[in-house]
This record gives sequence, C-alpha cells and structure tokens, in this order.
Amino acid sequence: MAAGFNWFLVLSSVFLCNLIKTLLPSISSFLSKIFQKDADQEMEMRMEIQNMKMELSTVSMMDEFARYARLERKINKMTDQLKTLVKSRTAQQAKMKWIVNIVFYILQAALMISLILKYYAEPVTVVPSKWIAPLERLVAFPSGIAGGVGITCWLVVCNKVVAIILHAVS
Amino acid sequence: MFRSNRSSCSHRVMQAESSEGLLQRRAEVRRRKLLLNSEQRMKKIVGFSQNEADRPARVLEPRFHLDLECNEPWSSSCSSNRLSPLVSDPSESSGEEDVSGGVQQRLAGSPRRGLQKYVSRFDDAMKLRGQLSAEKTAQDGGGEELDSFCVFRLVCSVALAVFVRIFVCQYLSIFAPFLTLELGFMGLHKYFPKVEKKSQSTMLTAALLLSGIPAEVISRSTDTYRKMSGIFSDLCVYFFSFITCHELLLLLGSDMS
Repeated sequence: MAAGFNWFLVLSSVFLCNLIKTLLPSISSFLSKIFQKDADQEMEMRMEIQNMKMELSTVSMMDEFARYARLERKINKMTDQLKTLVKSRTAQQAKMKWIVNIVFYILQAALMISLILKYYAEPVTVVPSKWIAPLERLVAFPSGIAGGVGITCWLVVCNKVVAIILHAVS
Repeated sequence: MFRSNRSSCSHRVMQAESSEGLLQRRAEVRRRKLLLNSEQRMKKIVGFSQNEADRPARVLEPRFHLDLECNEPWSSSCSSNRLSPLVSDPSESSGEEDVSGGVQQRLAGSPRRGLQKYVSRFDDAMKLRGQLSAEKTAQDGGGEELDSFCVFRLVCSVALAVFVRIFVCQYLSIFAPFLTLELGFMGLHKYFPKVEKKSQSTMLTAALLLSGIPAEVISRSTDTYRKMSGIFSDLCVYFFSFITCHELLLLLGSDMS
C-alpha cells in the first residue's frame, strides 16, 4: 500500500514547494515586520512631520518669518531623518527577502535530492510497458524497470502540472 | 638751451606718439590674425583640428563639422558628409588638406558603416533596456494569462487521457492518441481567436540582438520554442492525467483493463 502512494508523495512534495514559492513574498514581508524595530518611531515621525506641515500652513511667512523658517528647518531635518530610517528599513526588507529565498531554495533542493535518492532504484508507479512504448526507457529512467515511471520523469511532469494549476488559480 | 629743451621735449613726444602708433599697429595685426584664424580656433573648440585629420580613423563618436566657407545650400549629401570629420569635401578642402584628403576618403567608407552599425545597435540596446524595465514591472504584477485555446488544449488532454486509460490503452501505446490530438490542435488553431503574444524581451534576446543575429530569426526561434513548450505542457498534463486516473482506478479496485 505504501508503495502505491509513492506517486502521491512526490506529487504532494512538489505541490507544497510550488505553493510556498508563490507565498514567499508574503512570508518575507511578514518576517521583516516581526524583526523590524523602528516601525513605531517611523510612524511617530510621519505624524509629527504632518502636524508641523499643518502648522506651517497656518503661519504667515511675511508676518512671522523667523517662526516660519524655524519650522521649515525642523520639517526638513525630520524629513531627512525619516528618509534615512526608510532607507534602512528598505535595506532590511531586501535582506530578509534574500535570506528567505535562499533558505527556501536550499530546502527545496534538499527535498528534491532526497526524493531522487529515495526513488533512484524503484519507480514511483508501474504500468504495463506496452502502454508507454516507445518511450518506456526514458520514462523509467533512472530505475530501469520496464513499464515503471522513474522519479525524474514524474518530478518534471508534476512540476509542470502544478505550475499550470497554480498559475490558473492565481 | 631753451631750444635744446624744446627739441628734447618734442623728440620725447614724437617717441611717445610713435610707440603709441606701434602699439596700435600691433593690436591691429593681432586682431586681423584672430579674425583670420577664427575658423581653425572654432574647429579646435569643437574638437576637430588639422592634426587629427592626419591620424588614423577614429570612428567612435560622430562629430559635427563646421564649415564656414561652404556656400552650398544645405542638402542631405552635404550634411552626411559633415557628420564625419574624416570625410572632406574636395570643393572645400584647402591646400593643406589635399594631401590627407584621399586617405580620409578611403577610410571614410568602412568606419562610417561600422559607426552607423554601432549606433543602430546602441539604439536597439537602449530600446530593449526600456522594454526590459517595463516588462519586469509587468511580470512582477502578473504573468501571461491562459487564453481560450490553451484552456481548450489542457481540457482536451485531460479528457483524452481518461478516455485512453479506460478504453484504449490495452490496444496501443498511449502516445499515439496524443500525437493525433496534437495534429488536431494544429488544424483547430485557426478557429480560435488569435491572441497577440507580446514578445518578451529577455536578457538572452537582447544579447542575441546585440551580437548581430537578425530580429526576425530571434522572433521565429522564440515562436518555435513557444510552440514546442505548448506541446510539452500538453504532454505533461496528458501523462499526469493518465497516471492519476490509473492510480485512482487501481485504488477504487475496478479492473476495466
């Protein structure tokens, strides 16, 4: 019975990998939000700049030039600080995205290699060899069993089908 | 004594006048020299000097050739000649340029062609760069959608796989019906609405274009690759459906083979 579900195991693994791949951007943004320290500070700075800009709009440049200039300088200084903060946050997000992608691809490669090593000698399923003639050797690679469906052929087929399904769904 | 003083004074005045006249004459000569050499000076400023005409051809940058003496009306032949500093019109060449004029004309043909080729490829590269950046944002937003013919093909492949598993596979290979199906698709293709496939410019196509391969060859190869990719997708879906159907039937325990 377990042998009869090899094909399903490989299919599930491929489906899981492709599904996680489509969700990678969401995962990386979620993780970057968790590890972000200055989110509140950034929000406060934005609010403060907005308040100062509203105050600046009420101040007359002609009548209270000193106050106007002081306020404008404060706004510029805070805007520069905010820009620096946003820059560092963006860099951190890019770094997180890069790390998540690298980790995913390593795990995916490890999973695929382990599946190939597990089913190197035995096919994932067996059908009568005349059904898949004249490509039985290619389909059976690397197991070499006549009529068998080898792991590489099944991996390629599953990858393609799952990609089409996920593309159609998304 | 008074006379000698008077004579010395007048002599000094005369000397001053003559020196002033000399200065004025010198200034006049300098001014004339400036006016006469203005053309050469302008050429130097623009970047073409007499010395550069003697050097071997530098075709890297097209330079604007100023010719103040030419009285001909502005025409395309005249303007094309002016694009390259290496080409000198025999009517306007001075005596000093006659010696190098023949050499320049010999060199003008191939460097100009090479320059034009380079410029056209540079333009293509800049256009491709713009396309790549635009398509990258489009690809980030969403990929190519499945058109009606693609969906029809996939559905037919699944249906045929199930049909073949249930009725046909015990008599012949499963790939024979698939090939028949693909032949049928080739005939049915014209009955479906044609969707203009936007040619995706990738780094590979940009590199092929810049290395001199014609765009038509690239587009035909891309088209062929797209068709082969479609057939491969159909085959994968067909085979997957066949195996899945086979396993489900085994699981359900029905022996229809």
